[in-house]
Amino acid sequence: MTELLPLAVSFEAFTDVGFWSGVLVTAGIYTVVALGLQLNVGYTGIVNFGQAGFMAVGGYTMAILVLEAGFSFWLALPLAVLATMAFGVLIGLPALRLRADYFAIVTLAMAEVVRLVAQNAQGLTGGNKGLYCEFEGVNQTCFDDAWKSLSNPFLDWVEGFWPDVDPLFPLLLVVWGTVVIGIFALNYIQRTPWGRVLRAIREDEDAARALGKNTLLYELQSLAISAMFGALAGFFLALFLTTIQPDDYEPIVTFYAFGVLVLGGLASYKGVAIGAILLWTLLEGMRFVELPITEERTAALRFALVGLVLILLMAFRPQGLFGKKEEMVLGR
Amino acid sequence: MELRERAREHPAGVAFGVIGLIALGLVLAYSLHDVAQASLNGLTLGTIYALGAVGLTLVYGILRLVNFAHGDFLTFGAYMAFLVNVTWGLPLAAAIVFGMAATAVLGLLSERLMWAPMRRKGAGFLQLLLMSIGLAFVIRSVVQWFWGTEIRTLDVNVVDSITFLGLRIGQTELLVVVVGIAVLAAVAAVVRFTMLGRRMRALSDDISLAEVAGIDTRRVILYTWLFAGALAGLAGALAGALTNLRPELGFELLLPIFAAVILGGIGNPFGALVAGLVLGVVIEMSTLVVEPRWKVTFGFVALIIALIIRPQGIFGKAKGV
Amino acid sequence: MAAETGNGPALLEVDGVVKRFGGIDAVNGAGFTVERQSVTALIGPNGAGKTTLFNLVTGFAQADRGSVRFDGEEVAGMPSYAIARRGMVRTFQLARALAAMPVLDNMMLAAPEQPGERLRNVLLRPRAVRAREREVHEQALELLEVFGLGEKADDYAGTLSGGQRKLLELARALMARPRMLLLDEPMAGINPTLGRRLLDHIQRLRSEEGMTFLFVEHDMEVVMNHSDRVVVMAEGRVIASGEPHEVRSDPAVVDAYLGSPA
Repeated sequence: MTELLPLAVSFEAFTDVGFWSGVLVTAGIYTVVALGLQLNVGYTGIVNFGQAGFMAVGGYTMAILVLEAGFSFWLALPLAVLATMAFGVLIGLPALRLRADYFAIVTLAMAEVVRLVAQNAQGLTGGNKGLYCEFEGVNQTCFDDAWKSLSNPFLDWVEGFWPDVDPLFPLLLVVWGTVVIGIFALNYIQRTPWGRVLRAIREDEDAARALGKNTLLYELQSLAISAMFGALAGFFLALFLTTIQPDDYEPIVTFYAFGVLVLGGLASYKGVAIGAILLWTLLEGMRFVELPITEERTAALRFALVGLVLILLMAFRPQGLFGKKEEMVLGR
Repeated sequence: MELRERAREHPAGVAFGVIGLIALGLVLAYSLHDVAQASLNGLTLGTIYALGAVGLTLVYGILRLVNFAHGDFLTFGAYMAFLVNVTWGLPLAAAIVFGMAATAVLGLLSERLMWAPMRRKGAGFLQLLLMSIGLAFVIRSVVQWFWGTEIRTLDVNVVDSITFLGLRIGQTELLVVVVGIAVLAAVAAVVRFTMLGRRMRALSDDISLAEVAGIDTRRVILYTWLFAGALAGLAGALAGALTNLRPELGFELLLPIFAAVILGGIGNPFGALVAGLVLGVVIEMSTLVVEPRWKVTFGFVALIIALIIRPQGIFGKAKGV
Repeated sequence: MAAETGNGPALLEVDGVVKRFGGIDAVNGAGFTVERQSVTALIGPNGAGKTTLFNLVTGFAQADRGSVRFDGEEVAGMPSYAIARRGMVRTFQLARALAAMPVLDNMMLAAPEQPGERLRNVLLRPRAVRAREREVHEQALELLEVFGLGEKADDYAGTLSGGQRKLLELARALMARPRMLLLDEPMAGINPTLGRRLLDHIQRLRSEEGMTFLFVEHDMEVVMNHSDRVVVMAEGRVIASGEPHEVRSDPAVVDAYLGSPA
């Protein structure tokens, strides 16, 4: 019989700046991804399972432009965003006429195709090793050189009055700055007639069409905007991990994003942010609960946690923390 | 116009025609032997897909449940077989049977504890889909807890092979094909010829109509889960025997299995069976043209293209207004 | 009810429309016309193809063959939203009130020419967007009052009763300023009082605003007493059309109703 396992939680961890920086950056990245997802699922009713694919297209396009085509980082960023949005429209054109469950599967398949191409087109994408830096003799270009050239001086300046500042601080600011702007912008356009059409589409696409709305156009716009958020999240992830690898864009990323989405609640943008912070604090915080079990088992527990969160939420509180029960179109 | 209408009404014919033409092209470009060998390899892969797809399509068709946990059912079956075959040292046959039985029980439990209550609440498709993802995570975590992430293998013969007509097939691969096709044939017979099968088809068509007609839907649903679980367990155990065991085993197979389900027409077990086999063969045949590492990608691209040309699948019925 | 119908060519001309579903001819060479400012009823036994024809005319299904001309323009093959924008608006049998949206939003959604519905304008012309929003808001409230739903403006449409939803569906369709309104079984599932109110609205809209109506209906009393013309379908074809009393005594029509399995 197993004896009661002594649970030791090192609370010091929770005051460790490094811990919180890591959690907040990860949560921030997932918030960016999930904001796009919220627009799609919560407000337009299109069940997009391809966010990881958009992240990959954004991240890889940026890295390839910088490392292999010699573009400036600051030019590569908007180009990569545009490329990802164009990719989203390309996928959407044929896929959006499929019914919701097929669309979910096709977008998931699409994301996997992107990841597999990244994995196998070794010449272009570096295969499993991924992309970080290119070496030409003694010269080295890394895709985040330009970013570092701005963030490092900034970091030094902050260190002047906050010596313990975590190196992730600049990235943290940018990520959460994007989140705040994103939430404001999305809430704003949500309250417009454009947003109203989206909600009508979510509810009943045929009714919207009977009232003269070109629903495909709106759905494409929604998908393109979501692709933009995906691309941004892809950049941030690349800067955070300092590499771009296929493994970081597996379907599980999309599934986690959905977890964030339903935890925060459908049709609530701020809920996404809070849901992400909660989820990642929980997941990362588990590292500091000192159970006498192996690393693998801790990882297994994390899986179980996310799984249980999804199951329990859907069973008992499908509207999540901040969703409105009346707007629950999931249950129909 | 006429020809297009005719083509729309005989999609299976068109599909097979196209595949036949491509095969002919490949035979001319490469050799009959190469194409035949690829087809044989593909049959092995396709059997696994078909086993997974038939179970999934039955559940999808009758319950309208997009079961993302189905992949992890396969994983579960594989590890249960491992438990019996390697940990307890019993013969492979016993392990496979145990894997099937255990996964069938898992399926029944999920129905009892999750799906039935959610249906009573009137849950919508996205709610159920997300729950199935949650279930997938939970099953994966259990597997990882007990068996870790290291790669394990079943106690099977991966070396010996037999040759006939100049074609080579491994002993284990032959086992997979024989057992798989036998089970698939049995299931097909049940669905086609028995009362239970008729009832399943009725539920798949229109579940409320079936209830009104007096069919005991609860019982049919339970049997469906029994089949789905057992087939998934078998597919997982055989896949584990073919390759190796790791926690992602089932999930990796999930998308191609979904492809077979959709191409075969949702709720159509015969369609899923054929589509699974054909998909396996097509994917293997692609290795003649593209490098082997691209073959999985090829499968997904084929799915995407097929869905765009014909959203209801090759064997599915066109939706009326 | 021999009311005056408008002059000029028919507003809607359907000719030789064919639609096959998997081997069955749901509609097989149907043709009829709807005169301007008329109230036309489309009737027929179950399975005659009325709903399919309805869907074909409004773009919710694509005909295999045939022509549909609205105000002289060929609309067969156009997507449903394009047809709606040209002034041919339809309602649905099961009122598709957008339940998770407030009643007022339902109404405002339908208003035509809203610059705010284009993302470009939202970003670049916010004042124009706001101005039109205010207009639409007022119009919507007025129209809701006319239909007796004024108090429900801020409630979620899902909280309305069945009859109220039908009224909302009609009011919403009117917000779209249609030239022709196609009603799919408007009387189904509502009590007679409400039904009479609906019919009054229809007559008023016809005479005051010059609107044209086509509805699919099973209620013979409504058809006989409240429509100018009746078009009868059976087995995918139009077997008779004319004034109500003519059609009622047409032997082909009697045959179709008695001979077909109900």
